[in-house]
Formats: sequence, structure tokens, C-alpha cells
Amino acid sequence: MKHKKVLAVLLTVAMAASVAACGGGGSDTNASSDAAENTTDAQADTTGAGDAADASSDTTTDATGGKDAEFTIALCAKTEGIAWFDDMRTGVDEFNADHADVYAYEINPEGSDAAKQNAMLEDLISQGVDAICCVPVDAQAVAATLQKARDAGIVVVTHEASDILGSVDYDLEAFDNDYFGTLYGQYLAEAMGGEGQYYAAVGGLGMTTHMQWFNSMVNYLKENHPNMELVNPDGTPGEDDNNEQTAYDLAVQAIAAYPELKGLVDCAASSNGMALALEEQGRTDIKLVGLATPSQGGAYIKSGTQYRGLCWRPADAGYTACEIAYKILKGEEITEETSFTKEGYETITIDGNLISGNAPLVFTPENVDDYPF
Amino acid sequence: MKIWKKVDKTQQFLCVIILVYIIVVSMRNAQFLTLTTLFNLVRSSAGTTILSMGVLVIMIAGGIDVSFPAVAIFGGYTSLRICMAYGIESLFVTFAISILIGVVLGVVNALLINMLKLEPFIITLSTASVYFGLMTILVGTKNVGASDLPAQFKMLSSAKLITTTNAYGGTIGLSVFIIPVVLCVVATWFLLNKTLIGKGIFAMGCNNEAARRAGFNVNLLRIFIFGYSGVLAGIMGVIYIAGTNSVNPVSLVGTEMSVIACVVIGGAAPQGGYGKIFGTLLGVILYYLFNQTLIYLGLSASWQDFFMGIVLLFSIISTSYQRRLKDRKNFIFTE
Repeated sequence: MKHKKVLAVLLTVAMAASVAACGGGGSDTNASSDAAENTTDAQADTTGAGDAADASSDTTTDATGGKDAEFTIALCAKTEGIAWFDDMRTGVDEFNADHADVYAYEINPEGSDAAKQNAMLEDLISQGVDAICCVPVDAQAVAATLQKARDAGIVVVTHEASDILGSVDYDLEAFDNDYFGTLYGQYLAEAMGGEGQYYAAVGGLGMTTHMQWFNSMVNYLKENHPNMELVNPDGTPGEDDNNEQTAYDLAVQAIAAYPELKGLVDCAASSNGMALALEEQGRTDIKLVGLATPSQGGAYIKSGTQYRGLCWRPADAGYTACEIAYKILKGEEITEETSFTKEGYETITIDGNLISGNAPLVFTPENVDDYPF
Repeated sequence: MKIWKKVDKTQQFLCVIILVYIIVVSMRNAQFLTLTTLFNLVRSSAGTTILSMGVLVIMIAGGIDVSFPAVAIFGGYTSLRICMAYGIESLFVTFAISILIGVVLGVVNALLINMLKLEPFIITLSTASVYFGLMTILVGTKNVGASDLPAQFKMLSSAKLITTTNAYGGTIGLSVFIIPVVLCVVATWFLLNKTLIGKGIFAMGCNNEAARRAGFNVNLLRIFIFGYSGVLAGIMGVIYIAGTNSVNPVSLVGTEMSVIACVVIGGAAPQGGYGKIFGTLLGVILYYLFNQTLIYLGLSASWQDFFMGIVLLFSIISTSYQRRLKDRKNFIFTE
């Protein structure tokens, strides 16, 4: 029995500590000191998770970043702890610093969990923030919650969620996805000299943007470079599950199965797995173009094993999402003439409530070291 | 044919499937039958093979563990970050840190099971989240790319035993991953078949209470088993990072079921008391064979799940049927 008591106390402490860590996600000092205060409360009160959850919502309501802010904008992205959304946070923080009348912050669920993200959004609704920006883990899964937020009078702006336009005020895309897809084609054709066989993979056949890029790339190459041939069976892209090991395995197989292969494309950010396979086998004759982040794929882009890495800047997307919400809160109308601060978003195109910037980022050996994500 | 008689029916069945499948694939695409394929199979399956040994031991003892991917990435990733922070370039220290973390987390699993007298599945399901969450809080989950990886990981990633140079000046060879794999497999074989602890593990799996009354300290045995599984997970964590020459700490989570499937396909009884190392190896080979031949066959990734499901089903049927036959032979009629 003694053991159980010890364990119960340990569990309570662990729970309280994790709540404190979540609350600290607001990434400004006031929020985390509030979280620390709430932690002591939660530790004193051992009744369990219900109170702990309350503590976490208090944390963010009270925190206004020490500013006398008129508006509160919360951005809830896919997951905590990865370089991509850390960089997005720098954009949100920059927006917060640039605007005296806004308190903007980013909170993310742990481990890309759609259910946790939903719970966080519910929390934000009950706190009564003025605007929610969201990069959904699974767009369909949060659509209902976002609609609920709008019903409560909260402005909702999403990023990378062009398939739930009915439930949001605006969705922001860094670029027109069809155009981004043609970029894969352009660079691949440039590297391969406009002829030869190529093999392409996506993260998963269910990933909307990856498939859009893939299809538009294939169509672009069909039209402009008829001597380039997609070798994928049935024209279906391979799936690497965003996993480097799987990307590596796919590349090794494709190289062996198609001796004439001259090009590889990976629409997922795990393209560095393919680059590793090329490097090991010394296949400088096979050109690789893929979605990439400098932290993961930088080494291969720099060495030339990967010809080009395609991407967009998460910080700028985060900044612009907040800016859209801010303009709506200020009562400004958003039209094609609206200009946003960040490069690539000065001119936008609007299709219904889908806002597209023109902010693709192409990594070359020269510029890949300039980006911190 | 003596060896053929020694392995059980499930393993014979798996051998036949593997052979037939290899023949079918190589008829479709002759490029498949090359050393490159074999070398890549070894390299890609190394991590799973090591983990599967831990799962096998735990399963024979009548338990189940779903926290090992979390333990592996906790060990491997923390070790990597410590090495990065202090500029450690010793491979030995890298493994030592990872294994140490693995042992601690494994022993915590066993202690919780012993203290709470709960199903290992429930305990490890919760500790999996606790471990991964703890790692996220303490160490973070920042991706590390090839350019920032310490030298020993790069060395491990590219070191090869037997090498040939291909027409493009690249080196094709057998990855050094084979060394830890062989060591782990041999150690597990020795543990299960040549030690008293091994007898205890089988006894526990057949009947925990009987094992206890026969004089085995089952609580101590459980601590040992989960600690051992932690050692293996720790080794795997380092190999996993070296395997892709980069790490995305989130991507290993959720792979536990495929490893467990490999072990079950190999004929291990999920209720405990029975399991074979050779069968487990066949299960892993089959999994990676399906995985690594999709392009040669021109199939999409969902076919792998389909194949695996079918084989799993047949394997379970075969194992339980064999057991029933054996029981009847011994005049045990339970149904």
C-alpha cells in the first residue's frame, strides 16, 4: 500500500509539471511565470487532472504579454518541439513585437496529436481570444471546432488547410500549390537536361498538398519536356510516410529497378533519405529535387547530392497568418490589393477565402546556410 | 533434412513463402537478385531485428511491451544530444549512454508492473507516452541533419565490412550494423536456451504462479527481462539515427505494432511460453522483403499491409493448430 501512495504522489507531481510545461508554451516570460504559480496551486490541490486543465487555461487568459493589448491572437500549429514550428514561433513573436495593440503567441500540441489540438482549440474558445490561427494536424478533424470558434465570434485563419475552406474565415497558403508543383518539374528538368527517366514519391497518397504538387509537376513535365518519363507504376507516386529510412529504401529500390534512372523527386521533407542513398552509391548522375528543410537536408544540398530543396519560410507564414487576423479584427477588408509585410506576401491572390502568397523558397548550395530551421 | 525437421511447421511455412516470393519478384525484375538488395535488406532491417529480440523475450515470458520505440528514441536521441553538447566523439560512450537510459526505463516498466500487479500492456502503453513526453520536455524533439551529426554517427552510418565499388565510384557493401545485430541475436539465443534465466522466462510464460512455486523469483526475472529489452532498445536507438544519418525523433513512435507483428508471425505465442529466434528472424525478413520489393513489383505501399496481414493470419492459425495437435498427442483436451 505504501508503494501506491508514493506512486499516486509521483503521478500527481508529474501531471502538474507537464501542465506547467504546456502553459510555458506561450513563449513569453510572463506566461511562464504565471504557469509556475499555477503549478504550485496544482501541486497543493491533488484532486487531479480536471483542476490541472483549469490551471492551464488560466495561464493563458491572464497572460497578455505584459501589454495593454486590445486583441489577442493565438496560433495553434501542428506540434511542439520541431524546428519548423519553432521558426514559425519567431514569426509570431516578431508580429507580437511589431504591434503594440496585439498580444500574439503560439501554442502547439505535443506529438502532432489531432485530439490534443482540438482540446487546445476548445480551450482557446472558452478563453475568448479574439482570433485563432491554426495549422491543423488533420484539417477534417478540427473543422467542427473551428466552426464553433467562428460561431463564438472568433476570427479563424488557417494555414495548409485548403480543404476546409467552409469552416474558416481565410486559409493562407504560402503559394499556389499548382505553381509550387511546377517548380519541382522546372528544377528537375533543368538538372536532367530535359530528358530521361525519373521516379517520384510523396509522404502519403492521402496528403493533399503533396499530391497536388506531384500531379502538377507531372503535368508540367508532360507538356514542356516530353522526353522525360515518369517510371512509377500506374503513375502513382511512392509513399515514404515522411520517414527518412523509407525514403532511403525507396531510392535504393528505384535505382536498382530502373537502371536508366536519371531523376528522383520527393514531395516530402524526408528527401534527405534519398540523398543519402545517392551519396552512398556515388550516383551523381541521378538528380534529386525534393521538399527540404536546411536542418535536415542542408548537408546534401550544400554538397550538390541534392540538386535543389524546395520549401517556404514558416516564420513568414506565421507572421502573415497573424496579420490577416489582425486586419480582420481592425475591420479592414481583404482584397487582392491588400499588401502584407513579409516578402512573398506583398501581393496576394484570393480565390473565395483562399489567400495565396508567392513565397516559395528554393535552397541552393549558396543560400541553404542562411536559414535557421 | 535434419535441420528442416528441427524447425516447427510455422517456420517451414515462412521459409516456403519467402522462397516463393523471392522467385516471383526476381521473375518480374531480375535487378532484384543483386548483392545491393541483400545489403540494403540487412541495413534497413537491423533496428527492427534488434528490437524484435527484446519483444520475443518479453512475449515468451507472457508479457507484452509497447514502449520500446519510445525507450529506443529516448536513449538514442538523448545520447546524441549529450554527445553534441559535450563534443563527445566516442562510439563507446554514445552506446553506453543510450544503453544506460534504456536499462533504466526498462527497469521502471518492470518495477511498475511488479508493484501494481497490472497487465504489462497497460503499463507500457502509458509509460510509452510518459517516456516520449518526458524526452520532449527534457531534451526536445529538434531534428538533427547530416551536417550537425557528431562524427561517430556518420562513421557508423557509412562504415562497411565487405565492399565493392560500383560503376559510379560509389561503395556498395555490408553495413557494420550486422555486428550489433549478430551480437544481439546470439546473446538472446544464449539467454533463452543456455541459461537458468532462460528456463525461468519460459516457465513464467507458461504459468507465472507455477514458476514462482518452482522457486523462480518472478519479480526479479521480470526486472531482468525488461532491463534486457531496454539494453536492446538503447542499442537500436543509436543504430536508428546512424541508419538515416539524421534524426527526426518523432518518426520512430508508432512503429511498435509492426515489430510485434514480426515476432508473432515468427510463431511466438502472444499468451507466452513459446517462441523461436529463427522464426522471429524469418518474420522480420518477410516484413522487409515485402517493404523492399514494392517498386520491383510496381505496387503501392498499402500492399505491404495487405501481405503482412495475410501472413500474420496464416501464421497465427498455423501456430495454434500445431499447438492443438501437440496437446492432443499429450492427451490435453481443452476445447
